[in-house]
Amino acid sequence: MGEPGRRFSFRGRARSARDGETLLAALADRRLPLLHRSIQYHRPQGPFCGLGQCTGCLVRVNGRPNVRACRYEPAPGDVVTTENAWPSPTWDLTATIGFLTPGGVDSLHGLRRPAFATPVFQRLVRRLAGTGAPPTDLAARALAAPGVDRSVEVVVLGAGTSGRAVTAALAARGVRALVLDRALHPTALVDGDLLPATTAVFLPPPAETGDRRFTVLAFSEPARGVRVCARSVVVATGSYDATLLFGGNDRPGVISADAALSLAGPARPPPFRRAVVVGGGRRAAEVLEAHGPRVEAVVAPGDIRPELVRVANEHGVPLYPRSLLVRTGGRRYVRSVHLRARGDGARMALACDAVIVAHRRIPHAQLFFQVGAAMAWRPDVAAYGPSVFAHGATSVPGLFAVGSAAAAPPSDASGLAAAVADAIVHGSSVDERATAPSGEAAPTELLGYYRELLRTPGHGRWTACPCVDVLVKEVENAVRAGYRGIEVIKRYTSLGTGICQGRYCLPDALLVLSLLEGRPPQEVGYITQRPPVVPTPLGAFAALPPVPLAEAAP
Amino acid sequence: MTFARDGYRTVVVGAGIVGLFTAYHLAREGGGPVLVVDRGFLSSGSSGRNGGGVRQQWETRGTVRLAREAVQAYRRFGREFGFNIWFRQTGYLFLAENEAELARLRGVHALVASEGLASKVLDADGVARLVEGIAPGAVVGGTYLGSDGTLYPFPAIWGVYEAAKSLGVDIALGVEALSPEVRDGRVAGLRTSKGTVRAPTVVNAAGGWSGDFSRRSGLDVPNVATRHEILATEATKPFLDPMVVRASDGLYFSQSMRGEVIGGVALPHRPGTARGQGSSTAFLGAMARALVGLLPRLGALGVLRAWSGFYDDTPDGFPVIGEDPRLPGFVHGNGFGGHGFMLAPATSRRVALAALGQRTDLDPAQFSPARFLGAVAPAAAERLQLG
Repeated sequence: MGEPGRRFSFRGRARSARDGETLLAALADRRLPLLHRSIQYHRPQGPFCGLGQCTGCLVRVNGRPNVRACRYEPAPGDVVTTENAWPSPTWDLTATIGFLTPGGVDSLHGLRRPAFATPVFQRLVRRLAGTGAPPTDLAARALAAPGVDRSVEVVVLGAGTSGRAVTAALAARGVRALVLDRALHPTALVDGDLLPATTAVFLPPPAETGDRRFTVLAFSEPARGVRVCARSVVVATGSYDATLLFGGNDRPGVISADAALSLAGPARPPPFRRAVVVGGGRRAAEVLEAHGPRVEAVVAPGDIRPELVRVANEHGVPLYPRSLLVRTGGRRYVRSVHLRARGDGARMALACDAVIVAHRRIPHAQLFFQVGAAMAWRPDVAAYGPSVFAHGATSVPGLFAVGSAAAAPPSDASGLAAAVADAIVHGSSVDERATAPSGEAAPTELLGYYRELLRTPGHGRWTACPCVDVLVKEVENAVRAGYRGIEVIKRYTSLGTGICQGRYCLPDALLVLSLLEGRPPQEVGYITQRPPVVPTPLGAFAALPPVPLAEAAP
Repeated sequence: MTFARDGYRTVVVGAGIVGLFTAYHLAREGGGPVLVVDRGFLSSGSSGRNGGGVRQQWETRGTVRLAREAVQAYRRFGREFGFNIWFRQTGYLFLAENEAELARLRGVHALVASEGLASKVLDADGVARLVEGIAPGAVVGGTYLGSDGTLYPFPAIWGVYEAAKSLGVDIALGVEALSPEVRDGRVAGLRTSKGTVRAPTVVNAAGGWSGDFSRRSGLDVPNVATRHEILATEATKPFLDPMVVRASDGLYFSQSMRGEVIGGVALPHRPGTARGQGSSTAFLGAMARALVGLLPRLGALGVLRAWSGFYDDTPDGFPVIGEDPRLPGFVHGNGFGGHGFMLAPATSRRVALAALGQRTDLDPAQFSPARFLGAVAPAAAERLQLG
């Protein structure tokens, strides 16, 4: 292996990255770097998702704020700095805000008096808010790229197993699909046209008339705007590891299984040595299979599935089924997890340097919400996914859902792909019977878990929304004040309005609200998923040529 | 039973800022008992979807005066209602791209200044001092009024909602108003999706849906719901104080307390409420081009979310306030053209007075529903319907 090739500066020091390595991987040194402080109380906050969705790895690169280190590959000469911490994320004096306000800051009712001081409060709060300095003109100029405008028969969103299977099945029927994939370096595709490093961010409801009625807006990293018009859209965007609510759930060292599995590679060891894996099913088993020797224990909110027991036994990893993960311990990084057996059982602490959250996967459902597809509550993962009919059809004609985005069993990927391709090519009539579980829900297992967990004293100071630093007690206070439903609680507390747009906090907030309001989670409502799916540079949208307004007034 | 009582003195349709403020004033003026119904959740309509701008720069004197009163009310809001709405009086800046636009803005300035407000006319350098990083040559000048500002709409809704409730107002959410029950030619109650409630007075404060509701009530009104889209960017440290508005294309944006750039641009959309409050690809492109063209460095800033809401537009740009002469007991508090949040503290007391059958100080030629029926000679139109 040669010397790492790409030299850049990080906080004034020379660093280097190998080709194809992200900034986050290049900065990891046995553990993930501490790059970020929480927005309000300046708690140390670590990278969680590894997918460019959370707040934990935002840095400033060449004058551009909020660059996700896990999605950015350093170029030679890059200047990388940290944001919103002074003097550094490791030693951040602004964290005194957190110490001075142990009960949290009530920005809804507080700082109103005296009247003459409000402009001062406002200036101070504005100075403290916001992650980084605004971008420089130079950064915007360097990012500017001409847009891509395509019109195709079929666009497939996602080049995972299911997306590839549909693409191949389409090719076998003489249709070459355009495939957008978010991965920075997806495996090449021979039977379709692949746009790599490209995230579909907006899929509005299709136009009422026309041949290619769907429009997809996307952007290629870092900021190239992409617009695709298509007759049919296949959404194969997959699923992601949800978070879990506990004390210190955004402490550096708490990572998703997505991150644990993606951040390790042949060149770099995983960024942990003694991890506690949280989960009782297949995903936790996958983590064990990849990182078994580095796993200290498996903690499951509920029962542990036999396949996981088998893998754990192979690696000699102890299992803690039916356990409440109460909180993590440690100053800047995770040093321990504190557990309590369900049913007010024994308490214990395990030493560790990472907590890998692998307990449930949630469909990437944003595009389905945007396009107006009928959605169904999935009690097995306590989240919403699209209602899927035969041949992967959704309630929107021309829109298909495959793979884990549709919560379809992965085993029949090729069979389904052929059916989807037939439906697209031959326009098979839609079978109205939903194949996905109906809205009639079995009791969601996590509800019972949270019912027990939220009896823990001091839970009000836990973080319900890491991006905006909303505390659990703010949610409880909102309910106590008479506000109902997740839409209103979101606006009342600002929960879910940060960088991840609620992707991580809202599914669990829905369960907490279900308990607080005493009604099933489906009745607490779901959040209107607003475009874009991930923050998209204005420059990418600006580079797209203007379109004649489809719905302009006559 | 769905409602706390069988009958009310007044039922207000719409729990947006206009409806809530109206109910609050009704209760304070002894006009109870009052019921507010809303088809959605609190803040689901335009009151929860606007950019939070509050300005006093208008083209007609009547609107300037109402807006000035509203600014004073929002200054007191935190003390009176217990919620911090972060009303930040850091000004509204209207941009002119050419001399003709600047001439129009000078007219606005003259009117606003004659009302005792410290409006200023700026040249291109003056604008550049207020807007860091503006593209060279983008503007020739503008007008600025420092006592205009922005606020955070949500706590204003919570504040008035709680104040109204504490005065005994019943607020029923998730209840759709269908049409008034009419007996002997006047309002006798309201039919809702959850049953009928008796009341001699119904106030239509349904915002973007007020035209629909009036028409369901058999009243031909000129209100038109137009969809306006808006977006918010990722939050950065403060770099922009005033709300910036460009008359030529309806671009407006400000930087919120949290550091997000929030704004929109006018686009023609098919009128009506049928297509919902979603976003369009056309808007994302148009807004990005407008914003990046004016402030090039924003090209490197991420769009966090986009949404839309309805303006409740009237032909002359003035709101509709007062009892409908065709249906006694049916009171309008609508037609705010996207500026209900700005004006509500001032207009809602007058809507309440009208609902109580009292006279208001409003010029009927500008505000009364009769002006669309040929009963009153209409006044000059208010065309500064931006931001």
